[in-house]
Amino acid sequence: MDKKAQLKAEVDRLLSLPLTEHVVLVANRGEIAMRIMRACHALGIGFAAIYTASDEHSGHVRLARELGGDNCLYCVSSYHDANELMSVADNFHCTAVHPGYGFFAEDFRFARRVTKRDRPMIFIGPSWKIIRELGDKINTKRLARSLGVPTVPGSDRPIYEEVEAERIAKSLFEFQVEQGVTHPLVLVKASAGGGGMGIEEVYDPDQFRQVFRRVSNYALRQFKDEGVLIEQRVKDFNHLEVQIVSDRSGKHPVHFGTRNCSIQSSGRQKRIEVAPGFVPDTLEYNFDAAKLLTNIVDYSLAMATKVGYDNVGTWEWIVTRTGEPFLMEVNTRIQVENGVSGCIARLPDHKQVNLISEQIRLGLGEPLGYTQAEIATEGVGLEYRIIAEDPQNNFTPWVGRIDQFTWEPAPWLTLLTHVPQKESYEIPTEFDPNLALAIIWGKDLEEAKQRGLRFLDSLKLQGENAQGQELKANIGFLRDNTTNLLRF
Amino acid sequence: MLNITALLESIRESPYRDNVVVAPHTGRLTFASDISLGQSVTGPTGLWKEKAGTLLAILERERNPKPITALEKGEICALHSELEGQFVQAGTAIATIRHMLTREEVEHIILQQTLHLFAAPERAKYYFIPEVDKKMHASDEPSVKVHPGMELFIMSRMKREVHLNYTGPAGIIYAVYFKHNENIDAGAPLVGICTSEQLPEIQEVIARIKTEWK
Repeated sequence: MDKKAQLKAEVDRLLSLPLTEHVVLVANRGEIAMRIMRACHALGIGFAAIYTASDEHSGHVRLARELGGDNCLYCVSSYHDANELMSVADNFHCTAVHPGYGFFAEDFRFARRVTKRDRPMIFIGPSWKIIRELGDKINTKRLARSLGVPTVPGSDRPIYEEVEAERIAKSLFEFQVEQGVTHPLVLVKASAGGGGMGIEEVYDPDQFRQVFRRVSNYALRQFKDEGVLIEQRVKDFNHLEVQIVSDRSGKHPVHFGTRNCSIQSSGRQKRIEVAPGFVPDTLEYNFDAAKLLTNIVDYSLAMATKVGYDNVGTWEWIVTRTGEPFLMEVNTRIQVENGVSGCIARLPDHKQVNLISEQIRLGLGEPLGYTQAEIATEGVGLEYRIIAEDPQNNFTPWVGRIDQFTWEPAPWLTLLTHVPQKESYEIPTEFDPNLALAIIWGKDLEEAKQRGLRFLDSLKLQGENAQGQELKANIGFLRDNTTNLLRF
Repeated sequence: MLNITALLESIRESPYRDNVVVAPHTGRLTFASDISLGQSVTGPTGLWKEKAGTLLAILERERNPKPITALEKGEICALHSELEGQFVQAGTAIATIRHMLTREEVEHIILQQTLHLFAAPERAKYYFIPEVDKKMHASDEPSVKVHPGMELFIMSRMKREVHLNYTGPAGIIYAVYFKHNENIDAGAPLVGICTSEQLPEIQEVIARIKTEWK
């Protein structure tokens, strides 16, 4: 048997193992690492966890010790170092790697390395070929266009040359003027970026060159690739998502409905997510919202089927005020906001669905075990991202010490956090100052909103920075934006 | 005016520093065969420090052997030989080297007390703005002039970048205390500025250390 066949046979053997014989490397930090550990624990799967020196007081380190003991925990030099992850995985005899979100979650080279090394493991996520095909915004755009799926006008490959960039920007400004747009805008974004980072708008064609250089330099510093995308900036839109789930066969993807992630910071980072994406039975829209939701789900499933999508993934959409959808990108990983879809999803024998457990179970080779017809939804879920930042000052991250973080527990509330409640916690500066996710369920939109406000009112969050200034957080911003959720 | 004699005396009381050598990453550790407690080691040598210091150990990870060498001249005053052949985590202490301070290092310590230090306002990564960065690379001698209100740094934290203006007296950048892509704690000095009035004092400090530090 040649080496390639041997590797495939080994991966097939791993995929046929019972769940309880697997050991998963949790290759992430913070709350997502905690969710993965809990899901593994509930499924009877062992795990190894990692942390860096600056994270030694994080809740994920404590939880790893609690659920897996001291031996399962490794101090590594960086979460970004693939060699560290492989080294720990080998030392702990892991059979699979869960990348969480961020870091290596959408890195096809990493996913390929995990499955093609001498001691192969399972990458819990889509296959590396799918990540390569869909994980790249540009390839996704090309594939979508080939299937007749609407996409935002603009470049479909990274642009490095200033002259070419200016030509594209000029044509986009002219196109918008022709369409009757009174204030045309062009978006310049780092092609290798993500999560809303490295994106700038251009109002004036004469300013384009300056912005292009700035974003390009930023992209080189932060993402080591100076390529940028240039697109029409669609204003006044809602940001919707479709949650896709599929098993390793890749033949019968299903969806777990839609989410609306339109409440964002000025840097276009999500702050409140709601499932479902619209509520046409409760609120009135200027367009046929029920049809729109069906359309984006169908488009997403068509693309997932075409590529043989084989794990969890999210199709992200822009929906204009007139109800026109444009595919923005596909996130070939679990999303931060997966819990908001899980809390309204119902399967025949599940009250709620844990999409991370589903991702692990399916990623390790189990069949889906249900059909689209068996997936139901009930009520409305909303998620608040509680972040130490100053919404009044362009959402500037706040760094300092958290002294008090408490809330009133409720059966309709799930609070996920890596911030310890019993001792003070210094926010590491290496990562975003995300403190917690609060997932709230209500039987309808009104009840979810009321409960959301009740939760925010009960929240006590205090701390101070090195200069003795009081902690700044986005609680007021979340409260202010709860009133008009899902209205367009 | 600084009391240089007193400063030199206080440094002479413990004229060394102990540097703990730690595992830079995970891996399996093998000590160099000729390494033992009390042994003298050398740091990197050569015109551009291109020759590595004394080999202390090899850390093997993913079949890549990484030599761990002494970064400074000194004597091994602690050696964790119990780790031989073990898988170690990042940050594990491997050995301690006692390094006797050189004249340049003493100069550096005393200059920090003479120059005007511009400190990091927040824990973050710092970069010179591109124009200043080019000038810094272009000349070996301190020559880059700064003045109050001048845009000098890019402060990068949590992937967000803000420009930082210099505050303090006008002068030239005499010392740089931060490294590319490394986090700097709030309050730690970023650069040392020498004003034109200070120049004679700085020159005197250097001259006296040269004669008084043996």
